[in-house]
Amino acid sequence: MRPMNMKNVLLKTRLLLAAIVAVASLSATAHAAAPGITGPNFTLTAQPAYLTQPDGQAIYSWGYGCTRTPAGFKPSATLMPGTACPTMQVPGPTLIVTQGQSVSITLTNQLPTAAGNTSILFPGFNVTPAGGVAGLLTEEAIPGGTVTYNFVASTPGTHSYYSGTQSDLQIEMGLYGAIIVVPSSAPAVCTSPAIRSNLYGAAGANPETDFRLATAAYNHAKTCYDREYLFQFAEMDPNIHNQALAQVTARTGCVTGAPGCSLEVPTEPYHPAYFLINGRSMPDDMDANYSPMYPHQPYNGNPHMHPGENVLLRIIGQGRWQHPFHEHANHVRILARDGNLILSSTDPTSLAGPALFTTTTTPGVAMDGIFYYTGRGLNWDMYGHNPASTDTSAKLTCTPDANGYNTGPAAYSAINYFEWCQDHNKPLQAAPFGDVAGGGPVTLPDANIFTNGAWYGGSPYLGPDATVRATGPTGVTPPSGTIANSPGGEAGFAFMWHSHNEREITTNNAFPGGMMMMMLIDSREFTIDESN
Amino acid sequence: MSSKIVGTFVLALIGVAVQQATAQSFRVQCPASTITHPTAANNNSEPAYTAATTFVSTNPSAPANGYLVPSAHVNGAIKCQQISGGDGYASMGDGTQTYMFSFGPLSGLADIASGNPGTEFPNTFNTTYPGTLVPGDPATTPGFTFNGAVGLTPDLDCVSGNTIATAAGSALPCPNLPASGLDGHVDPRAIMDVGVMNGNIPAPLMAIDEDDEYFLTLTNVGMIMRPDLFEQHTVHFHGYPNASAFYDGVPDASVAINIGGSFTYYYLAPDAGTYFWHCHITPPEHLQMGMVGQIYVRPRQNRVPATTSLYSALQVQQVDLRTACRRPNDGVTPAVTSATDILCTNPLPAVQTGLNGGGKYAYNDGDGSTRYDVEYPIQIHGFDPNFHFVGMTFNPEGFADMKDKYFLLNGRSYPDTVTPGSMETESADSVKHFSQPLPAIINITHGQKALLRISDLDVTEYQTLASLGIPMQVVGYNAKLLRDQAGNNLYYTTNSITLAGGESLDVILDATNNTTGQVFYLFTPQLDHLSNDAENFGGLMTEVHIN
Repeated sequence: MRPMNMKNVLLKTRLLLAAIVAVASLSATAHAAAPGITGPNFTLTAQPAYLTQPDGQAIYSWGYGCTRTPAGFKPSATLMPGTACPTMQVPGPTLIVTQGQSVSITLTNQLPTAAGNTSILFPGFNVTPAGGVAGLLTEEAIPGGTVTYNFVASTPGTHSYYSGTQSDLQIEMGLYGAIIVVPSSAPAVCTSPAIRSNLYGAAGANPETDFRLATAAYNHAKTCYDREYLFQFAEMDPNIHNQALAQVTARTGCVTGAPGCSLEVPTEPYHPAYFLINGRSMPDDMDANYSPMYPHQPYNGNPHMHPGENVLLRIIGQGRWQHPFHEHANHVRILARDGNLILSSTDPTSLAGPALFTTTTTPGVAMDGIFYYTGRGLNWDMYGHNPASTDTSAKLTCTPDANGYNTGPAAYSAINYFEWCQDHNKPLQAAPFGDVAGGGPVTLPDANIFTNGAWYGGSPYLGPDATVRATGPTGVTPPSGTIANSPGGEAGFAFMWHSHNEREITTNNAFPGGMMMMMLIDSREFTIDESN
Repeated sequence: MSSKIVGTFVLALIGVAVQQATAQSFRVQCPASTITHPTAANNNSEPAYTAATTFVSTNPSAPANGYLVPSAHVNGAIKCQQISGGDGYASMGDGTQTYMFSFGPLSGLADIASGNPGTEFPNTFNTTYPGTLVPGDPATTPGFTFNGAVGLTPDLDCVSGNTIATAAGSALPCPNLPASGLDGHVDPRAIMDVGVMNGNIPAPLMAIDEDDEYFLTLTNVGMIMRPDLFEQHTVHFHGYPNASAFYDGVPDASVAINIGGSFTYYYLAPDAGTYFWHCHITPPEHLQMGMVGQIYVRPRQNRVPATTSLYSALQVQQVDLRTACRRPNDGVTPAVTSATDILCTNPLPAVQTGLNGGGKYAYNDGDGSTRYDVEYPIQIHGFDPNFHFVGMTFNPEGFADMKDKYFLLNGRSYPDTVTPGSMETESADSVKHFSQPLPAIINITHGQKALLRISDLDVTEYQTLASLGIPMQVVGYNAKLLRDQAGNNLYYTTNSITLAGGESLDVILDATNNTTGQVFYLFTPQLDHLSNDAENFGGLMTEVHIN
């Protein structure tokens, strides 16, 4: 019987770990955009440091970073506490430039001497290198030396950058990052109140700060967006990192070019144990951007959005494997691949990229896509409206626009902005316990036969008002209230976004972890603050 | 494990189930009518699609205080299904019995056994078995034809309570009880007898039609071989657009169903396409262990009368804002100046073909381009025998080095893929169960077309499936028609497709130019996947027969 007990202990330990983790992420609710540094002149360095993982390991890695304060940050440092560009980070600093700018990146090689030369490739741009030494794919910086890459950011979009020197080792060690080119002029329709899917600055609306880098991903009316998130996927084999550290340590003080002053780290066979989004494993990826807990992993993966908002996903495959990134809750319309818009062959105003529920990340490939969530077609009112209630929030109206949604200035201040009106007031439950309409198709069973998740909002309904009316201030019991998405505070619809190579949602063989995050659809009662 | 010990576990589990819940915790739900489908007599078949549903408020004098109910052209019907979450055994291509965490059918048993979806109309689901179901059914009982809900039985408390109340002239305790007495109350014994150790790979097939309401009841019967694990199970409807978190099946974001409990998932059918479903508890474990199945949604276009043009029928669909996919110049009033929904993929086709309805189609294409004669669900999966052994033997699993050694199409490796009928496996209860009901052989009459609904739920790596001789036309990807927002079809013809776990794709095989007797192979060019563990033969392969 002993092994059985052991398994139980393990299982319980995992659950406990998940609970602790959930509390940790609650204390630093973080929902953030695509932060980075601005130029157009960048001074970068390549340096070693240690990355932290949720299993407590500190992994020796190499990354790009800043040797001096960059020209600027986006979103601005005043908007995002802790904003910094450390001397080394994984992924490297996200370089944010504007279409048409002449971009210059000067890289200083501060890797250990034994690591040899290093460099950066900028696929998709016509790069002119200068000041380095000749390498296989581009000019390289020798240990202690520099190299400068110049190019014009000719077209907008999301791109990757990564080391072009001994890439099998250097990219594995963390030398990769993203460059975002925002369009020089966004289409006017993107800021027109006529298509107001966000309410930034709208009179009467719950004020939320705009953290976007731009209002459109491209100079195209179909690429307007309301929020944006950047996800970079890479895996990590700790054996390679440990061997690199051992060899670097053994060769401390060696002289460039001297016999033996190089690394002989085998990169095959390859057994990655860490599966990273923006350099972090779940649940660390849901902590804040620039969190002091992760001095060399400043970027998170913790998307939040309101119903109806167009959310731009900038997805990059780094590393060496493909990862099927599955977005729960809706499809993603792929706008572009490596900065190239995919348009109809007969009508350049129409999109032609696929709509996917699984967006495969491929090494070196960047995708831009639009995601939204409205709850259209649920066939029940997700706000749990109840015209018979005495609660005014339960009796909100829904005035459909041409597409059937509750929009327009009269709804700007309502928590059901962008509600799907065809289901307004339509009951879910046959005989509900709380203050929501009855007569619906389903009977919810005794809550005692369920186990509630840490992100369960406490009821089937969206938002604290509906949840409290349906079930009470703590949601259904047990347990009394959930911890990461509280019934009385947020009660969003939580959806898991994760690699569907499911073994990759683990951290060093422990579940949960790896390439996983929770995406939250929040009603308008909940203010999404991307600043932390 | 002897059957006596198994029996003890069964008793123990029933005991737990009774103790845990104050109310009965096994239940099914399958209403004969709802506010969306108000006429019970119309909900047991699919009506023709002649117009978009029109709605009226339940409170015409003060619409703000009511909600919309259909006033005319009620489309779709009600569909119900019950599945067990538990464990079981399957037979691999090399004869090995492999332990699984798995779902099994608890409705549509005869349909599942003959390779069909176990999704039923209410008048089939809400029927009781005339005898006593026994372990292994339908494999145990010859001539088994029952498709109703396992365990469903009249709610005698309600029946007698209503009788007493009627006699006393007092309020009925169960005012909505149907005359049959069937209100979803079940006899847990039948569910445990049939559901325990009855896992299937792939998990029970599901199929619904657009506009249907779908009630899926998951009943957790426990995992007999792992009594140390008090595992919950869930159903994630993978790829459903605008899903609700509550019914999304992610235990972290919703509720998970404990052993001894039932939960009914509810959805209005989403857009047509090939989706799939799986348990979302500890996904690297429960998916690898076998809790993966397919669900597809048939398009409205299947219900368009043979006298109606498909193009005009798709125009009619644009009136329904729930499914509208507008584009400029689509001939629908009011006109739009650009596509109105960035995520829809089936606007009116750019080219009118003039074809009429009356056939079967993969999508609402409006031009007949996804028409097929026969359809085959094909589910790609992989089993790592080491992980399954560890999964049966109480040891902690490793995830990072998971390596599949059995490569499965519909839960079978070649040559089992072409074996007709259900495959059966003797489980640890010494009873034979239909473990793998779904063959993967593809039969096409020459001159006709077959639709392959291919889904991949492998949890470790990408899989390629190639076609020898007969080209594959890809018409859908991730449950979406391949069409740009200006209406141009983006289909492509290929001889191989590659999918990740978590993707689906629709392929049409056109046997127009083939002759009777031809045999083609669908196989993987990933040559190490053409094996059954140590056997260097088999794996991810099946046959296409032209009849």
